[in-house]
Amino acid sequence: MSAQGKAPRVLVVEDDPHLAAGVMENLRAEGYEVSAAADGEQALEWLKAETCELIVLDVMLPGIDGFGVCRTLRAQGNSTPVLFLTARGDPADRVRGLESGGDDYLAKPFHLQEFLLRVRAILRRWDWYHSASATAATAIMSFGGNEVDFRVFRARAWNGEAHELTEKEAMILKVLAEHGGQIVSREDLLEKVWGYDVFPSTRTVDNFILRLRKRFERDPANPRHFLTVWGVGYRFLKDGEP
Amino acid sequence: MKSLRVFQLTTLALVLVSVVQVGWWLLDQRSYAHQSVAAARTAYAEQAVAAQALIEAGVSPERVTQVLPKILVAGGRAEIAPAVNAALGAEERSRQRQYAWEGAFFLLALGLCIAVIARALRAEARVLEEQDSFLALVSHQFKTPLASLQLSLETLALRAPPPEQARVLIDRMLSDLTRMELMVTQILESARLERGRVDLRCESLQLAGAVGRVVSQLEERARKARVRIAVHVEPQLQVLSDPLALDVVVRNVLENALAALAPVGGGEVTLTARAVSGEVELAVRDSGVGFAPADGARLFQKFTRLHPGGGAGYYGTGLGLFIVRRMMELAHGRVSAHSDGPGQGASFVLAWPAVPGPPA
Repeated sequence: MSAQGKAPRVLVVEDDPHLAAGVMENLRAEGYEVSAAADGEQALEWLKAETCELIVLDVMLPGIDGFGVCRTLRAQGNSTPVLFLTARGDPADRVRGLESGGDDYLAKPFHLQEFLLRVRAILRRWDWYHSASATAATAIMSFGGNEVDFRVFRARAWNGEAHELTEKEAMILKVLAEHGGQIVSREDLLEKVWGYDVFPSTRTVDNFILRLRKRFERDPANPRHFLTVWGVGYRFLKDGEP
Repeated sequence: MKSLRVFQLTTLALVLVSVVQVGWWLLDQRSYAHQSVAAARTAYAEQAVAAQALIEAGVSPERVTQVLPKILVAGGRAEIAPAVNAALGAEERSRQRQYAWEGAFFLLALGLCIAVIARALRAEARVLEEQDSFLALVSHQFKTPLASLQLSLETLALRAPPPEQARVLIDRMLSDLTRMELMVTQILESARLERGRVDLRCESLQLAGAVGRVVSQLEERARKARVRIAVHVEPQLQVLSDPLALDVVVRNVLENALAALAPVGGGEVTLTARAVSGEVELAVRDSGVGFAPADGARLFQKFTRLHPGGGAGYYGTGLGLFIVRRMMELAHGRVSAHSDGPGQGASFVLAWPAVPGPPA
């Protein structure tokens, strides 16, 4: 159950009817509300009118492929988490999927319990994020002349520039803000934001921190808010380093 | 691929060494010819000096010319005969021309070798690439029914469903296995077709018979999928084809039509045959999902799927129309596909050589 107490809704986008049926039956058995789309266009059409908490998205779809669907959604500002299902499980393909805005990646054939575990993990992460941004006090954070609205993934930087944050940037910011002043390791950030074994390297976290510095630091080369603790991780200082 | 790279580099090194060797040989021969002629000139010049000394010593010019025939004595002076000088120059030029031709021939031969080797290497690399791509596509095609099979089995193990739901899962697994079996058959068939390892017979066959057989095999499935099949094939139409290949191509095209109708919940398929300029054409029209006109040729490539499975128990392997194209090529026939666009239905035309009529 989500923070709001109702069954999370999952959209399954899979062109193979048997696999789609199997995935949907199991998700329903776990208490999720499930809808289906047989290709990318149907999925994008459905998402124009409906919302869901998770999209289980096949990569090799006829017409627009799963990566294309995910990129389109992100470009439209839709931050619904995406779990990719694909027959291609090589690392380059995984990274491609995650770079297109996906949250997790599962190679076919997969174990049912692992699939359900990953669905739960993604929904738990988002549940945490929404709970942690639920009140007016936690939804908006101000630091160093910047203002971030976690609910709508938008920010206004110290120089007045408006930024659309990706869901990962917002989540990283949220984790760092929750541990303000404390050291957060790269592994903790990966676990909290992506899940346990999604990315092949912790360098990804470093790239996201660089992006946050570019958005919010007055001098990204000499950061005052997003500090690197060499060999360990990062520390966020809301008031900036003296 | 590593051994191929080593072979490429070794071959390239050998060819480069050969080119340098030929170049060096050319220079060396040119220099040798020049030196030989220069040495002959020096020898004749020494003979001229000796002849001059003999003349000055009182030997008659006739005697000097007799002893040294390449030396011309005129007006008390001895010198190399102009004809000898000219012959030496001609010899030098002739040898240089010969080396230039031979060198050019060797370089041309080496160039041809390089071209032949490069072509063979490129062809080999292309075959390897195609094999890799084929394997990747095949493994991808297998993973989806495998995933479905695994999911059904794990669902049975995890949830212990009631008998009626278990029956659904078992039927699904059996269907997945049938799908994989069909894929194996089609993959083997397409591999054989691609390598030309299929000997097709060429017989006079009644088209209506083949169409009737295939339609009766698919009738039950069509009925369940709410598809009406209408056949307009005159019994006298005869085509030149292999009997098995004829059934396979008609069946694959008809199955493709059923697949195109599945996502729209059924419809109609019409099979119409006619004789036209030395050919017999069979047009298979459906009122299904159709496709963009530009995708017509792509449909006959391996593993092309333009639409999702849709339902009604149909699963494409992406090989059916590829097999149709290859079999039609081997039967000296042709196949084409046309649609006015998505949602507009599609038409597939198969054309075989007609059986020549009896002489008038």
